[in-house]
Amino acid sequence: MDESLSGTCPKMTDETFILLRDFIYEQSGIYFADNKKGQLENRLAMRLKVNNLLDYDKYYYLLKYDPQAGRELRALFDSVTTNETSFFRSPPQIQAFQEKVLPEIITRKDKQHDRMIRFWSAGCSTGEEPYTMGIVIRQVLNDKHANWDIKIVASDISEKALHSAKAAMYSDYSLRAVAPEIKQLFFTPDGNSYRIIEDVRNLVDLQYLNLNDAKRVQIMKGFDVIFCRNVLIYFDDEARKRFVSQLYNSLNHGGYLFIGHSESLHNISRAFKLVHFPGALGYKKE
Amino acid sequence: MQAHILDRIRNIEDLPTLPSVALEVLSLAHQIDVSIQSIAECIHRDPPLAAKVLRMSNSAFYRRGDRKIETLHHAIIFLGLAQIINITTSLSVFSALKSRKAQEVSIRENFWDHSVATGLIARYIDKKLSMRSMGREFVAGLLHDIGKIILDQYFHEEFIAAYNMSLDKDMSMYETEMEVCGTNHMEVGYYVAKKWNLPDYLGDVILWHHQPSQAAHRDMAALISIANLLAKAKEMSCGGDRMSFILSDQEAWQVLKERGYAVEALDIERITFEMETIGDQVKHYIDTVMEPAEAEKANG
Repeated sequence: MDESLSGTCPKMTDETFILLRDFIYEQSGIYFADNKKGQLENRLAMRLKVNNLLDYDKYYYLLKYDPQAGRELRALFDSVTTNETSFFRSPPQIQAFQEKVLPEIITRKDKQHDRMIRFWSAGCSTGEEPYTMGIVIRQVLNDKHANWDIKIVASDISEKALHSAKAAMYSDYSLRAVAPEIKQLFFTPDGNSYRIIEDVRNLVDLQYLNLNDAKRVQIMKGFDVIFCRNVLIYFDDEARKRFVSQLYNSLNHGGYLFIGHSESLHNISRAFKLVHFPGALGYKKE
Repeated sequence: MQAHILDRIRNIEDLPTLPSVALEVLSLAHQIDVSIQSIAECIHRDPPLAAKVLRMSNSAFYRRGDRKIETLHHAIIFLGLAQIINITTSLSVFSALKSRKAQEVSIRENFWDHSVATGLIARYIDKKLSMRSMGREFVAGLLHDIGKIILDQYFHEEFIAAYNMSLDKDMSMYETEMEVCGTNHMEVGYYVAKKWNLPDYLGDVILWHHQPSQAAHRDMAALISIANLLAKAKEMSCGGDRMSFILSDQEAWQVLKERGYAVEALDIERITFEMETIGDQVKHYIDTVMEPAEAEKANG
């Protein structure tokens, strides 16, 4: 955020933080923990400015009681979601995927002599998430990967993002959480950028998909793991419920859904079993 | 040799003891019409303990309202006798089991973090479910794993072997302890709780926090069982186990459900998110319990 702007920025009181936090959670399922007050303050500073408001109290009243609040809510959601994406984002989730979910699925399928595992990165943006999944899968399967039929469907509504995902060229910045040995194994330097190696690119099947298109989403079937992180916020309540029940139907039995690390399905679906992993939550279809 | 660890513990002569004042407070607490005066007098006979009880009573953790509590007598009136007994129990056990070698590399580093986190989460869920455990849930959370301290102190090698095995095989500590030591931290902790004459509910929680349906104080054992898991999910763990779990499939969950608590209405996701800052609360509690000099030593 601009330094000069932050100087003039009004402060959010603890009381207002709690009001706004609870309101946002109720409306979107996204939770700002007590230590995230500064983050929320920063994210909402621009909304205050745009609405010509002097403090966060007034902003809360606008959201809560103003007839125009519906439109502001969209803008609020855009501000509270980080649109940026990077490799190995939310590490505890990736770790849960790597250490718990994948081994469990592999062991089960091994017993059933089922050699096919299907993944879906729903809302894949510029590809960091599906390629991260691909890297992790290659690491877990190691030299046995040839025995398995793996596909990661990566879908997004933005043609531009998909185009960029297809190029699979990334800056240092989006690789900031990537361990050096992984960087060496799975990326090829190309000028100032890094390109994901072909072996991982080949696992990923990029597709245009509007998640609001119920008919198209309905044919997405047979997945073992779905990542759909920080996407639900773009739906209204009714659409969110419908979409999540579709995600449930898209999963195989024993499959897992991961949503954003501070997102909740509490008011959206009771179909899944909530799983606690060290430092992360997941949803299981039994 | 392995099968005899519990027997060997019975024969250990320098097993930690509770301060005599604490034992007396606990036994006074069992009496029906004990007076505030007699409890206050009893605690006063151990001045460092009295000072700590007063400090705890004024901490953000227990304090109600703005008024500073000046005397033990006031503390008992404001917080209630039950809470003073809780505070005395926690402080006494804490000081009896505090690590003897400050820099020792063992589970001790995380032991109290895990214990305090379990107590705090128990307190939080107790409130959410209106269980009215009256602060006893915090003490129970704090003490549920004391058997680990004893195992670590007197059977260090075996205990570390169990610890490593739980990491390697992704097993629970109580399973690997059984394999390596022929006993587990629940049995050992229960033995110590009896020896110290701790209240029944504590012995019960210590023995049954992994199988709460067996406990006489089932509600409390189930509450601690769940708080214990959630503390681990927040990576506030003192065993090596990085387990994953489904809360609604746990024995403890079924116990609470059968006992009529509205567990299904709990927003577990939100509770989990709220626990994001548990580390700060744990640190705050431990800083308050420790003497300023001790805290300085631990930090430096």
